Amino acid sequence: MIRFEKVSKAYPGQARPALNSLSIDIQKGEFVFLVGQSGSGKSTALKLMLREQRPTTGRVYVAGKEINRLAGWKVPRLRRQVGTIFQDFRLLANKNVAENVAFAMQVTGHSNREIRERVPETLELVGLDGKGDRMPDELSGGEQQRVAVARAFINRPMILIADEPTGNLDPGNTVGIMRLLDRINRSGTTIVMATHDVQMVDQMRKRVIELEHGHLVRDQVQGGYGAQF
Amino acid sequence: MQLRYVFTELRQGLRRNLSMHVAVALTLLVSLTLAGVGLLLREQAQLTEEVWGDELQITFYMCNGANDRNPQCAGAVDDSQKKVITAALDDNRYVDKIEEESQEQAYERLQALDVEGVSGPDPVVKSSDMWESYWVTMTDPHHSAEIIEAVAGLDGIDHVGDVHEVTGPILAAVDGLQSAALVGAIVLVIAALLLVANTIRLAAFARRREIGIMRLVGASTLYIALPFLLESLVVALVGIGLSGIALAAVMYFGVEQRLSSTAVTQWVGWEEFFSSFAIVAILGILLTLVPTLLLTRKYIKV
Repeated sequence: MIRFEKVSKAYPGQARPALNSLSIDIQKGEFVFLVGQSGSGKSTALKLMLREQRPTTGRVYVAGKEINRLAGWKVPRLRRQVGTIFQDFRLLANKNVAENVAFAMQVTGHSNREIRERVPETLELVGLDGKGDRMPDELSGGEQQRVAVARAFINRPMILIADEPTGNLDPGNTVGIMRLLDRINRSGTTIVMATHDVQMVDQMRKRVIELEHGHLVRDQVQGGYGAQF
Repeated sequence: MQLRYVFTELRQGLRRNLSMHVAVALTLLVSLTLAGVGLLLREQAQLTEEVWGDELQITFYMCNGANDRNPQCAGAVDDSQKKVITAALDDNRYVDKIEEESQEQAYERLQALDVEGVSGPDPVVKSSDMWESYWVTMTDPHHSAEIIEAVAGLDGIDHVGDVHEVTGPILAAVDGLQSAALVGAIVLVIAALLLVANTIRLAAFARRREIGIMRLVGASTLYIALPFLLESLVVALVGIGLSGIALAAVMYFGVEQRLSSTAVTQWVGWEEFFSSFAIVAILGILLTLVPTLLLTRKYIKV
């Protein structure tokens, strides 16, 4: 589903490359944690998967497409197959919960009938049924992240990329979000999640890819945050 | 494509950046009106040249024996001198037609004007005081100098009458006004371009979060750019409409009500107005859509 072949990425003006000859292969339906210290290259790897950046050398394949060769006009189609969630939720403050979720369908050209059917269904899936009329500032952090998950999942993407989705949440909400992501993963969606949350990675016992200064230092099935697992 | 979303965004965008849009529309109004006036002046210059150009003739007055201070006049012009003069005129490629007027014909023309001292039993001016002349019609009124240069110095020529000396300043004034209007229009067009660019930048900044989400969920570039393009188009149409009203006012109050009563020349009419306005309208749309397209490519690149 996602394959990096000797991928390096250097940003202009930076002495060290953000990624250095990284090769990883993530299969369909996997749940993968991407761990490492700040500046280890996690965010760059996620940006390459979303084709927000292009590799300096090497090849990146996402959903069977080599992103470096993908024409600009084909990028939106690729992104419809990849959902994204972020630490800061990125909700639109002037839209209510249902509108925020519907937004992802509206701007990708779905009909009103489809939107009316799928929005309540997805809100129920993420545990927000009955809260469609609330504004984002009326929700807790955990609920806001659930809205973001609903928006990322409403187009039923093949891949879900999560960049520190529990970074702003208390332990209770973190568990809730992780259960939700686990459920989505069980439905067949590949999940790649960058995180610093040691406890959560240790508990989940999923595949762990650890980066350090842009290098792959560990790729462990059912691993923990540290190498001792 | 969800057009309802596009139109909602368009409405919100127009409301959010209202003051900037008003500034762009007003700048467009002034710049497009000036450009339109420049185009109308160009049409006017062409019309004036056509009208005056039809009548534009150079008259070569030949020696009548009365002017002994001109070294080219050693008495009245003779047949051999006239042959040299007509040959020089015939050889000139800017000469279209030559008409000869005798002293008697010139005198008759003077008498027809009923000037005092010309008629009566003992006139002050006689036919022998008049000049024989060649009335030369040119193929191109801009080349009178070449014809005069070739003929004026020949023996037998007393002096030259050039209508272009009278019409020249009028045409130069029209040309000057046209240039001033076009320079003003260019300066304001640049101002309009910068204002449009600034507005788009502000609008993109105000909507950066939405644009970011749209890009991530896979909205196409066209879909993201459409509200911006429509916003610019609406402002362009307002600016074009206002400049159309201003130009029509110039035509009605300036040309129809005031100038058309003066028969100095033929004045531009509504046909010229519509052809100039069509160019102004195209210019207005290009002025707003081109920078919008370029900047949206830059700011909302997928």
